[in-house]
Amino acid sequence: MIEHGGRHHIVIFSLDTWQITLFSLAVGLASTLLILPFGIALAWLFARKEWPLKSVIETLVLLPLVMPPVSTGLILLKIFGRRSPLGQWLYQRGIEIVFNWKGVLIAMSVMSFPLLVRSVRTSFAEVSPRLEQIAATLGASPLKIFFAITLPLAYKGIVAGALLAFSRALGEFGATILLAGNIPGRTQTLSLAIFSFVQTGKDTEAYTLLGITVFLAFTFVWFSEWLLRAGRNT
Amino acid sequence: MHLQCRIPLAHFELDIDVSFDARVTAIFGPSGAGKTTLLDAISGLREIAEGEIEFNGRTVFSSARGIHRPPQRRGIGYVPQEGALFPHLSVRKNILFGANRSDNVGASMGITVDHVLEILEINILLDRPVSGLSGGEAQRVALARAILSRPQLLLLDEPLAALDVALKERILPYLARVRDEFAIPMIYVTHNLTEVLTLADWVLMVQKGKLVAQGIPKVALRSVHAIKQLADEPFDNVFAATFVESDARSGRTRVRLPSGAELFIPYLPQPANRAFQIRVGADDILIATQRPEGISAGNVLPGTIRSIEPVDGEALITVATGDEFVVRLTSAAILRLGLTVNSPVFLIIKTRSFRAL
Repeated sequence: MIEHGGRHHIVIFSLDTWQITLFSLAVGLASTLLILPFGIALAWLFARKEWPLKSVIETLVLLPLVMPPVSTGLILLKIFGRRSPLGQWLYQRGIEIVFNWKGVLIAMSVMSFPLLVRSVRTSFAEVSPRLEQIAATLGASPLKIFFAITLPLAYKGIVAGALLAFSRALGEFGATILLAGNIPGRTQTLSLAIFSFVQTGKDTEAYTLLGITVFLAFTFVWFSEWLLRAGRNT
Repeated sequence: MHLQCRIPLAHFELDIDVSFDARVTAIFGPSGAGKTTLLDAISGLREIAEGEIEFNGRTVFSSARGIHRPPQRRGIGYVPQEGALFPHLSVRKNILFGANRSDNVGASMGITVDHVLEILEINILLDRPVSGLSGGEAQRVALARAILSRPQLLLLDEPLAALDVALKERILPYLARVRDEFAIPMIYVTHNLTEVLTLADWVLMVQKGKLVAQGIPKVALRSVHAIKQLADEPFDNVFAATFVESDARSGRTRVRLPSGAELFIPYLPQPANRAFQIRVGADDILIATQRPEGISAGNVLPGTIRSIEPVDGEALITVATGDEFVVRLTSAAILRLGLTVNSPVFLIIKTRSFRAL
């Protein structure tokens, strides 16, 4: 307890709490930014084009959404682990994925990717193809049509999708713990830390982090729902 | 323009092979006849199984020769039925969307932004969001947007269909002005007879994907084919008219028809352009076998019956008075008056039955 302006505060926002929160937010944000261009491109291909094996790819992309996250984590571990060809290739170039923040990044990205793609695909599908066609008759190239018509009309769904993906990334647990471990100060995210604190009986710390996650989740979901509603009204 | 295309549709096959060369060509037919599909095919928005499209000496599509120009490079403007304005852009940005296309497939044809804005009266709308426009305003903006992309051909897909009758009357003159001011050939799809007769100088009648008749609207639309299709549609007589004089107190305006005959129509202030169009419905004209006396109607025209085309208890009667009027009567009336081809008759038309465009 410390004296502060005549009122008593309990210091619960310790350095560790801050570190864990900021680390989660930073890697979560990075993962969302990383998947955004791929997610938009893929969602557009899903919504607007017909191509061979489309349904197979669609299913594969959605798989992490329904598979146990731990299974996804195990697959990722097999792909990026040092004994796999890809892991070895990366290791020879000085890049290690497993048991450091890059593993957290990959796990978050893979797990939140389906949410992003689904949301963006829906918002692309809601843009009337007629508008794109008329833009073509007005001389607009496919690239101009995408950037001047499709993207601006779908942007609310894209932002909402990105927020959802970000929230999902922050909540990631199963895949992360397999690929990146649960190393305090190195790979420990909010979810992993809550788990550790509960395991070791540090209830105060656990509840603090719990409060933070509830607050963040509420904010993001509420904002993305609001965006989707606003998008539908126009 | 040469248009040949075969497109399989759900319930029938669109199969058209036609050549025409007119300022405004109407494609006329009932809903579901394949009219919109045809426009989509011409503009390159829809696959054609087999065919060839050629206009202004350019082939934009040919399945035999493997030519398939994308819509961007056809130089064909398109005003779809619903307008399809870009909802996230202001009216100004919508209108200018295709204005600075770099390839300039269309020759400029002296079309300037100011001129288009003036003709369609959209200066006051420029900074409005598209969502705030009324149906009629939206159609004018869509029209301006298409014209300003400087196309070599303009396609209009039932631009008035979504508007109520009163609004149609207000927007129709804009279309006539576009036709008269800009040298862009137009293809105009509609299932409304008045629009065909007012705007078009050639009509293609399409039914279930097939061309059933074509010709000058006045003539082609009197055919049995047309009448069968149009049982309940009002048939209008449309004439080019010249303003002679106006008198507000007597409530009427005198105009001259191409034959030199003069008519009274409801009062209108002297128009800037002394030449305009007037029309009167075929159901709004009476026929008498003797010159009537003591009646209120302002116009009595002597003439001779040229043709009688009966269909299902009614008939369209063409009467030559110097100009040609079409009158729709029941078979009973024709029988009672003993009307036959070459009968001398009098047409009786109320002043207020005429409408000026």
